[in-house]
Amino acid sequence: MIRTTAVPRQLRVGAAAASVLGIAVLAGCAGTTTSTTDDAGSGASSTDQAVDATDSGSSSGSATYTDGTYTADGSYATPESVETISVTVTLADDVITAVEVTGNPTKTESEQYQSQFIGGIQDAVVGQDIDEISVSRVAGSSLTSGGFNEAIDAIKAEAAA
Amino acid sequence: MTGVTETRWEFSAIGTSWQIQTSSPLPAAIRDAVAALIEAFDRDWSRFRADSLVATLARDGGAVAAPPDTAAMLDAYVELSVATAGAVNPLVGDALARRGYDAGYGFIDHGARASPRDWTARLDWSEETLRLSSPALIDVGALGKGRLVDRVLAEIAPWADGRIVVDASGDLAVRGGPERVGLEHPYDPRRAIGVWEVTDAALCASATNRRAWGDGLHHVLDARTGQPVRTVAATWALAADAMTADAAATALFFEGGPELAHRWDVQWVRMTTDGRVEWSPDCKAELFS
Repeated sequence: MIRTTAVPRQLRVGAAAASVLGIAVLAGCAGTTTSTTDDAGSGASSTDQAVDATDSGSSSGSATYTDGTYTADGSYATPESVETISVTVTLADDVITAVEVTGNPTKTESEQYQSQFIGGIQDAVVGQDIDEISVSRVAGSSLTSGGFNEAIDAIKAEAAA
Repeated sequence: MTGVTETRWEFSAIGTSWQIQTSSPLPAAIRDAVAALIEAFDRDWSRFRADSLVATLARDGGAVAAPPDTAAMLDAYVELSVATAGAVNPLVGDALARRGYDAGYGFIDHGARASPRDWTARLDWSEETLRLSSPALIDVGALGKGRLVDRVLAEIAPWADGRIVVDASGDLAVRGGPERVGLEHPYDPRRAIGVWEVTDAALCASATNRRAWGDGLHHVLDARTGQPVRTVAATWALAADAMTADAAATALFFEGGPELAHRWDVQWVRMTTDGRVEWSPDCKAELFS
């Protein structure tokens, strides 16, 4: 299975790509694919799900993943229907430069939500480089420390052995 | 930048990194008081140490003297639980441990297990007493860190002039001036999806990308099933206090979260796992496309 969560630092962006791709696939266990390639063979995402790599460009010396555009299709069940979506991620030098999500979820429930408690929705936000925006700090998931990181490292070392 | 005339005190506690920024260094006595406060909170509520109160209750059940934060936190859990139709539950500790997020950081998945839906019948509390009718592992992860940020800020505030920022990595509170905070992209920590200027308020973030292990497992479980959430990747909530913001950030992983945020007067942003960003009707964050 493709992991849905980011893992080791050196694999960070690759795992991130796998996350985006993995969601589409994981959510429904019914991924459909167009062709099969191993995505740069890093182990962050073992590919028993196929990924279609097109537009493979040159990768820079430090890149862990091959530049290019990766697409995965998936479906997931909602209480009302089975939705299908397609997620395309563009990678350049291990950085996600574009995310595109296509599909037309029926989501009547979501629309009802939106009218009342949700101010707006924007598709596939890529964001901006943190170094290029003027902020004094960043808020995301809590940094992990001590035992958590050591335990994860130990598991990774075991897995690599 | 803003640090020119301010001092930063950094330390690790409760499994994450803390940073307290004040206009002048805090007296040693205040630092000691903050450290003692955090230690006491950890000793009461940490499910990662064998000598904690919740570890004792998990072994033996029964009644104990209620720690100072008991009613504030568990009363909020009642609202969280109702709003999310049981997805948020303070007895989720056993389910988290079972998935591998245990006191020894075993990270071995023993499968999904639902948490007791009737948790309010098993757990009761007052200002004096905290009681479990049978042993269970309490986990206040949905709002505990926010509560601790509030407590630390309250401890410092009388001693610090000017601006104060208490940042417990993901959960922060600001007093006395604005602080611009980037909203970290859950799929790429080098990018931000927006900026939120926080003034005399708390901003709490939650995301599934760091406290993660195994095959798609992470620390936000749906207590009804014991399965990790799949539809929301990250949430940010802004409220007057950090416990409310933290609790709302957790609720926003589930259906019912937006209604609860509305009721609590919380502004929010969240990113779903298909890359969409949603925000509350009154949200003042600056969001990038």
